[in-house]
Amino acid sequence: MTAIALSPPRRAWLSVARQELRDLWLGGRALGLLLAFSLLLSAMTYLTATNSLLNFLEQRESANLTLQIGVAVGALLVLLTTADAISGERERGTLESLLLAPVHRVDLVAGKGISALSIWLAAFAIATPYVWFLGRGVGIVGVALAAGFAVGTLLALFLAGLGLLVSSLSRSNRVSLSASLFLLLALFAPTQLPAGAQQGWAGDLFIRIDPFSAGLHYLGKVVVDGHSTGQDISWLASPIIAAIAAVLLALSAARFVTLRGGGPS
Amino acid sequence: MSASGIEARGLAKAYAEVRALEALDLAVPSGVVLGFLGPNGAGKTTAIRMLTTVLKPDAGTFTVAGIPHTRPLEIRLRVGVLPESAGYPERQSGEEFLRYHARLFGHTRESARETARSLLAETGLAERAGSAIGGYSRGMRQRLGIARALVNEPAVVFLDEPTLGLDPSGQRQMLGLIRQIADARGATVVLSTHLLAEVEEVCGRVVILNRGRVVADGTVAEIARRAGAPRQGRLQVPPEATAEALEALRGRGIQAAENSKPGQLDLALRADNADDDVRAALGALLDAHIPVLGLELEGGRLSDAFLAMTERG
Repeated sequence: MTAIALSPPRRAWLSVARQELRDLWLGGRALGLLLAFSLLLSAMTYLTATNSLLNFLEQRESANLTLQIGVAVGALLVLLTTADAISGERERGTLESLLLAPVHRVDLVAGKGISALSIWLAAFAIATPYVWFLGRGVGIVGVALAAGFAVGTLLALFLAGLGLLVSSLSRSNRVSLSASLFLLLALFAPTQLPAGAQQGWAGDLFIRIDPFSAGLHYLGKVVVDGHSTGQDISWLASPIIAAIAAVLLALSAARFVTLRGGGPS
Repeated sequence: MSASGIEARGLAKAYAEVRALEALDLAVPSGVVLGFLGPNGAGKTTAIRMLTTVLKPDAGTFTVAGIPHTRPLEIRLRVGVLPESAGYPERQSGEEFLRYHARLFGHTRESARETARSLLAETGLAERAGSAIGGYSRGMRQRLGIARALVNEPAVVFLDEPTLGLDPSGQRQMLGLIRQIADARGATVVLSTHLLAEVEEVCGRVVILNRGRVVADGTVAEIARRAGAPRQGRLQVPPEATAEALEALRGRGIQAAENSKPGQLDLALRADNADDDVRAALGALLDAHIPVLGLELEGGRLSDAFLAMTERG
């Protein structure tokens, strides 16, 4: 055996991310999730395209609807992946081996988060031709995709942080997945409010505070109303703040990545 | 004590109301194979997890390979661990698993590959290097776990129940591997196991834990003697000479009783002086011209000491 240098790896997060990417993609998990994502987008595109032909939906609205679903479900896939990242290892008994490596726990969390974000990139790549198909001819494809990528990346970062945080603290995978999905549903709730409840300063504030509602609202402004990307940029304040806060929280909670979960041990 | 061993003072850990470990004091010189024994729940795994920095102690200090507990990253660089009931990523191959962990220990890509292949060969897994771990048997997984514990050429190796769930042949293979680690690598080995006969064979020193405390620390012989583990002798004489033999033995102050088998006598030997008692018994029979057809000695083994010390609580 060769002599080895006894020093901790400099960029351990990169080694973790590489291995996680291999496990996620070559292990087939990401492919399964994206297949379901593709089927959902195909069904949505068919429905919006036929509605558009019947003039029930304006073409911009069709593109926006599909883009919003692509962004929201793409980010949801990131949440599903990160919610399993630490608690899954804990449950499968593989966490102890990782904790025994001479790497900081924040490197483990960062590597897993980076790997999970790859799902969002793949989901966006899949959504692109659908948005192009629905938005072609009205000059919105480029701007819709740019805005969708920006909003989706912010929401994916937010949900990656959230999923990692919950996963680090949860004692079991079931708790982690349930808590993450509950939080996601709570975040989606404002988008389902009736139009009346979204009026006035209180409704406006409510939508602006919720990162999901604010991000999707911004997409609507850009794609449907034809506003420039900078005109309604204030709507991205809450997704930006939420993304930064969630990522920082997840990284600082890395010290709670323990064998039993639920806090320091 | 050598700088590359283990030294712990007052290590304590509690889980809610349950005290897993109370004031553990331990001093293991380098190069020793230590049998770390105790009944289930004695605190062995907790102690190993603390010494390998996976768990934080509630109280106490320790050094491993000369590195204080305040530098956990450096300790992890110098220790190799086979955790109790370790899980493995089912879809990774054995080689991929080892390469990944070697990278986490600072190996370059090339040296990680080389280390993985060399360890797979050393642990007898070379032929299955490319197979998914999901298809490995229990014994193969344990050997892979040992290979993982060696990716950093550790100064101290902790093996927590390495023979758990293995058949007798697997247990023999595993013990052979442990002996090889100790002999060829010169590492300090802490072996937590319930196979006491094998501990007697492999370990130079033994520590017995019970209810979170060290109840014995020393060589196997020292512990058996200290525990006052009872020993028994069984003498076989011609059946017609049984009564005469009993009289001769009792005449020398040796406690003896007739067994249910004809001509067989049970001797109660003093734990701290069993050899003298045996010598005296044989002398008494020879002096009385009674032929000794057989002699068996029982007890006084580590298992007796273990039971005596752990039942005593």
